[in-house]
Amino acid sequence: MKSKTFPATVESLAPIREYLTGLSEAAGLDKKQTYNLCLAVDEVVTNIFLYGYGKSGQKGVVDVYAEMDENQLKISVEDDSPPYDPTKQNLPDEEDLKEPLEERPIGGLGLFLATTSVDEFKYEYVNGRNRNIFIVKRSSSK
Amino acid sequence: MGLQAMSEVTQGIAKITLIGEVDSASAGMFKDEVDKVALQSPKEIVLFMKDLNFMSSAGLRVIVFTKQKLGAEVPIYIVNPQEGIIDTLQKTGLYHSVFIVDSYPVKG
Repeated sequence: MKSKTFPATVESLAPIREYLTGLSEAAGLDKKQTYNLCLAVDEVVTNIFLYGYGKSGQKGVVDVYAEMDENQLKISVEDDSPPYDPTKQNLPDEEDLKEPLEERPIGGLGLFLATTSVDEFKYEYVNGRNRNIFIVKRSSSK
Repeated sequence: MGLQAMSEVTQGIAKITLIGEVDSASAGMFKDEVDKVALQSPKEIVLFMKDLNFMSSAGLRVIVFTKQKLGAEVPIYIVNPQEGIIDTLQKTGLYHSVFIVDSYPVKG
């Protein structure tokens, strides 16, 4: 398993995307899959940086782990901020997404994108750490 | 990669060019340009995105903010966005509230 640690600051967003792009290329993901993986992870780590660590005033890191087999690329992002399960949040539904922009709440789209941009998204709280898991199927296995 | 954001307002048309990546670290620069052009009460907003390689929900929030700040009657044109950004606009329904065009001024 490969891993890399990044400081919990928005300045890490671009380096995380760069790291993910390299992993995606190694896994043979296409451009769209790579973009969507970067988008999903970006949304979750932004939440961790701004609201997880940010609200609790903690300074910390996120650890990004990558595992690949013949079927999939699995990215796990772990952090030490307070427990937060993105799958348990109220995400916008189809009706919300049809609302004209002038009537929409400004937020709420990030976790929607995070959980819908990869083939599978999971959350676990293990050993006092949040673990957000992003799974992308490799094209050859589809 | 970061973001370069530039704007101008000519004859009531606000043009904002975005190059690079919009995420939570850089979305403030995009919003600053919107705030700047909004002072001149433009009748149209044109976002040139050909060289924008990535946009997270932080960028979507600026687009929603733009619409809410300037009002429903001010159209937003998005010129030549890349495939990933079009997908995001579609998935989140913003697609219905903006005009995605290949060039500006719009031909035909």
